[in-house]
Amino acid sequence: MKAGVAAALAGALGPALLDGEAVAPRSVEEMAGAAALATEQGWQWKLSGRGTWVTDDPPADLELSTRRLTRVLSIAPADLVATVESGVTIAELGAALRPHRLWWPVDPPGRGERTVGSVVATATAGPLRHGYGPVRDQFLGCTVVVPDGRVVETGGRVVKNVAGFDLPKLHAGGFGAFGVIARLHLRLRAVPESDTTLLAEGDRPRLLAAADAARDSGVGLCALELLSPAAAGTSEWCLAARLAGTRTGTEGEAARLRVATGIAWHTLGHDHAMSFRDILATTAESGSSTFRLGCLTGDIATTLGLLEATAGAGATFAGMGTGQLRWSGDVAPAQLIALRRELAAREVPLTIERAPWALLRAAGHFGSLRNGVGPILARLRSLFDPAGSIVVALEGNHG
Amino acid sequence: MGDFTSLDPCVHCGFCLPACPTYLATRDEADSPRGRIVLMRALERGDLSADDPALRQHLDACLGCRGCEPACPSGVGYGRGLEEARRRIAASVGLRPLARLTLGVFGRSVAWRTAFGAGRWIRDLGLAKLLAGSGRARLGFGMLAATAPGRVRQPTLAPEAGTGPTVALFRGCVMDTLFGHVHDATRRTLAVNGYRVIEVPGQGCCGALHDHAGDQEGAARLGRANLAAIGETTDFIVVNSAGCGALLKDYGHLLGTEAARRFAGRVRDVTELLADRGPVTGGSLPLDVAYDAPCHLQHAQQVQRQPLAVLGAIPGLRVHQLPGSDRCCGSAGIYSLVEPAMSRMVLDDKIEAIRSLTPRPDFIATGNPGCLMQIGAGLMAAGLATRVAHPVELLDWSYAAGGRYR
Amino acid sequence: MTTSPTPALTADLLGALSRLVGSRWVRHRPAELATYAADGLPTHESRPGLVVLPGSRSEVAAVLSLLAERHVPFVPRGAGTGLSGGALAGGDAVLLTLTRLNRILRIDPASRRAVVEPGVINAHLSQAVARFGLQYVPDPSSQTACTIGGNVAENAGGPHCLKYGVTTNHITALEVILPDGSTATLGSPQGEPWGPDLVGLFLGSEGMFGVAVEITVRLEPTPRDIRTLFAEFTQLRAASSAVSAIIASGIVPAALEMMDQSCLEAVEASIYATGARTDAAAVLLVELDGAPEAVAAEAAVVEPLLRANGARSVTVATSEPDRARLWLGRKKAFGALGRLAPDLAVQDAVVPRSALPDLLDQIAAVRDRLGIRISNVFHAGDGNLHPCISFDRRDPRQAAAVVTANREIMEACLAAGGSITGEHGVGSDKREYMPRAFQPAALDLMCEVRRVFDPDGRANPGKVFPANVCREWRRGDRQ
Repeated sequence: MKAGVAAALAGALGPALLDGEAVAPRSVEEMAGAAALATEQGWQWKLSGRGTWVTDDPPADLELSTRRLTRVLSIAPADLVATVESGVTIAELGAALRPHRLWWPVDPPGRGERTVGSVVATATAGPLRHGYGPVRDQFLGCTVVVPDGRVVETGGRVVKNVAGFDLPKLHAGGFGAFGVIARLHLRLRAVPESDTTLLAEGDRPRLLAAADAARDSGVGLCALELLSPAAAGTSEWCLAARLAGTRTGTEGEAARLRVATGIAWHTLGHDHAMSFRDILATTAESGSSTFRLGCLTGDIATTLGLLEATAGAGATFAGMGTGQLRWSGDVAPAQLIALRRELAAREVPLTIERAPWALLRAAGHFGSLRNGVGPILARLRSLFDPAGSIVVALEGNHG
Repeated sequence: MGDFTSLDPCVHCGFCLPACPTYLATRDEADSPRGRIVLMRALERGDLSADDPALRQHLDACLGCRGCEPACPSGVGYGRGLEEARRRIAASVGLRPLARLTLGVFGRSVAWRTAFGAGRWIRDLGLAKLLAGSGRARLGFGMLAATAPGRVRQPTLAPEAGTGPTVALFRGCVMDTLFGHVHDATRRTLAVNGYRVIEVPGQGCCGALHDHAGDQEGAARLGRANLAAIGETTDFIVVNSAGCGALLKDYGHLLGTEAARRFAGRVRDVTELLADRGPVTGGSLPLDVAYDAPCHLQHAQQVQRQPLAVLGAIPGLRVHQLPGSDRCCGSAGIYSLVEPAMSRMVLDDKIEAIRSLTPRPDFIATGNPGCLMQIGAGLMAAGLATRVAHPVELLDWSYAAGGRYR
Repeated sequence: MTTSPTPALTADLLGALSRLVGSRWVRHRPAELATYAADGLPTHESRPGLVVLPGSRSEVAAVLSLLAERHVPFVPRGAGTGLSGGALAGGDAVLLTLTRLNRILRIDPASRRAVVEPGVINAHLSQAVARFGLQYVPDPSSQTACTIGGNVAENAGGPHCLKYGVTTNHITALEVILPDGSTATLGSPQGEPWGPDLVGLFLGSEGMFGVAVEITVRLEPTPRDIRTLFAEFTQLRAASSAVSAIIASGIVPAALEMMDQSCLEAVEASIYATGARTDAAAVLLVELDGAPEAVAAEAAVVEPLLRANGARSVTVATSEPDRARLWLGRKKAFGALGRLAPDLAVQDAVVPRSALPDLLDQIAAVRDRLGIRISNVFHAGDGNLHPCISFDRRDPRQAAAVVTANREIMEACLAAGGSITGEHGVGSDKREYMPRAFQPAALDLMCEVRRVFDPDGRANPGKVFPANVCREWRRGDRQ
């Protein structure tokens, strides 16, 4: 923290706001006060949650963290909605929902200590995106603190809502560029009667073909993920399928999956499935950088080839039904920028989810933007953050 | 006489838009049923006058096919409203010159017999087919050529006369002069199915064209003449032209007398009578056929299943579903004459649907002279080998092939 | 409808627009303008200055550039089936009708995408992809007539959105023309955005951000098995609790729809009769789809739940014609309600699902107190209500009662933690409720986000926000 900033903050808002090196407000109002003061003083700040996902420190005058916004404010089982503060972790959320037989169907990369706010701000969906959709579909509204300290409530807490513009969409995957997500109304599901994970190992072409067959057969899955050895912690490539629903339904679908793909699947026991998911979550942050890209399902095989040739060895995750590919490893800025150019020519966007500041500064989370998007983004940024208080590299210097 | 109360249920939902051939052609709401209802209501309120050129243009552009009525969840009586609007326009500003001239011809049997007689002569010399094509005049020759029998060799033998219900054949004008072969087929196929067909002299044009144009006076005059000629002696009055049948069934409303209502109750489309008896199965006719439903049969008369039953009685016939077969072809009485551009746009959609069928049908079957001529001309203009035929023609050939005629 | 002389500005514009798109496609005569004065909610009427029907995206761009040059406001419109008075233009504003842009540009069955122009009719798209075993899922009740472009502008919903999501969940990319005539490519074929989720932001922007001229949609496989359950209840509250019980069971039906007695009577009197007895207080339509085993297993849970909550009969349909018949009444309900009275005010509001029974009681209380007929037909599974008020606007007492009823119902929904619109949009109809639904900061921010896309505020002016609600976002005391 820049010299003098801590003292000034403590003086203005009280010393309890500080938590070690970070400014960690305990309420939305405190968060608003801290943001307003920082912006007024012309300090630049970076956002953080529990600090487990971001790998490097961007230069900033202070760190504003949601780590003490940890209250689960309400759970409405009949409405399938929970209202939480953004610093609640994925693990804490799961524990709070379990007694109600509810869950939030997002299985993000990274450890269970990641906060809900971080998952939403980075839009880091995991394999369950196949069955339940991207992160932006998993919350109904949010309260955002904009840099000048105003608190804006957008969206609502009902599942269908077209009143006014859909501002929550801007914050899902906005990397905090449009303010601090402080509170969220999460869309929940009832825990399914049966939740089964099947695994098959083999060489990549064979598993790719099996995945295509599974998709074409229309088997009802909630995840279908192709994993490189580094991602799955195995010696060969893996194809993982997850089925959720009624017991007879998932059993029937599992049988159909076996017939459709013609490969050997083994069913993971409950504990094994849990530990397997833990492996995936952590290998997704095994390298210094993690990025995702979105290609059409018909282009997954060629995109994987390109990824391997350009980015090199790393943990690779491919959502075979969604076309969302994730890669984690070590990559140099020049390499990544070249890959992004190559992908852009194929209409495939590459979004950096986490990376050392040097890479982010050079390439940006989004990098080069498409036709006409640059000016829109610039105007949005200057609307939400006219003073440029939030340190975030959306476009990068060379992206 | 009339009013616009039949339009009252309209809640402006717009469900009728894609059911309207003219809206599909232009995608302009002024050419949609909902838009025309707005115009009719403005006419009723006096917000727009009957001589407003834009109002007239868009109401004139309505085919009157009533394809919007089944699409309407509120049950708006669009056809009745249109009839009233056209009556008011005709009463206040009169008919357009071309329409007046044409309807004048249909109003006097001497005139139409002369005109269509000449047409038949040109057709039979082969000139019509020679001159058929895509331009406006050449499309007209195509229409004339399309009235030719679907087969050169017509059955010459006759079946045994039926012993069942008595049926008076409504001869009409165009049917009588250009589609005599359909009347022959009607008589023969009805006889095979047990009906006693009786020829009634002194009939004329049904008046449908006058009625649609807003000339209810002219229509009523022709209606009264037909009522007098046909009388009350037969069990049924059979019609093989959907447009004529629709008005004959509506004589009760047009003439407003008890006798007219009784008359209307006896009117049947030929496919209704045939379907009531099965119809009797014929001999094999290995052809590819697609059915196109005339608006005045499916919407105005609600006769939808019976023409398919007629085709179903023909062994070997392969009947294909024509996408949009429930949509107007753009003929609509004298519409193709007075609104040629819109008529052509609507026809083009129909021909395109036929062109994309595989296998391409040998015949499009449809039970209305206007549709036969319009689609037939469109097919010739497009250079397609597909021809048109009335469903009873096909049944007639099947009966001939099956030895039903002695 | 007066035939006031066309203002000089409009006459000049008429010529310029005619040169761009052809005079046939610029409508200016009063009778023609009258046919565009309302959408599917005819309680709002406004005659546009001109109607222009461009035939290609380059014509759209040229028209928008011209309008920008001349500072003329405009309103995009599809088939005009919207239910919020949203696609109406007043004064000198030009109505930009996009129905002629009706081509399906590409279908990619392998990757399950289609690229369409905005004027493509929703149902035509599903018909065109059916041969690949695919469908476009969002199915507003107007799907036989409404356009995909209109669906994008309104973020339209429909019965099957309970399981599959609304329009925003099915659009992956948009080519848009901004109000200044410039273009932007939002999203990607797969759906991952280039930058923030501008596709998500554009969806439901009610024509105020620009015009989508190419729309990439996600296609879904047609379900292998579909089962429709039709349950009759003698108590309205019992039907509501059946809905809650199904949702709580963890099963997500493809659709979960309710019609009350008043609506049922209208449907059964129409040509879309389902054969239900009109003495039922409510009927529920539950549709389950997916794999045959899964559907059978879910039906084995749902049917007893319906009966346990008081269903007096449950009809199950599996064949397409039987299912279609059960659905027809629901899909055509709004039209069937048109039989009840000369005018119909279709409302749209959302409440948390648990509040449904109370809300229905409150609506009944409003009905009884004001002495008006309200029929309920709605997406019960997501708490999306559609109270429909039948009235005769020529009777001032009835017209006033409708205004009161609407306001009271909206307030009840907001008090229950709901929203003023679930799928119809704000348009002209709900503007006045926006300050009750959102705090000033949120409203101000929305107004400013609009200016990001449309600095002059020329696109669909006067909609969504009540007059004078938008204050300056960048207040001096914060700078």
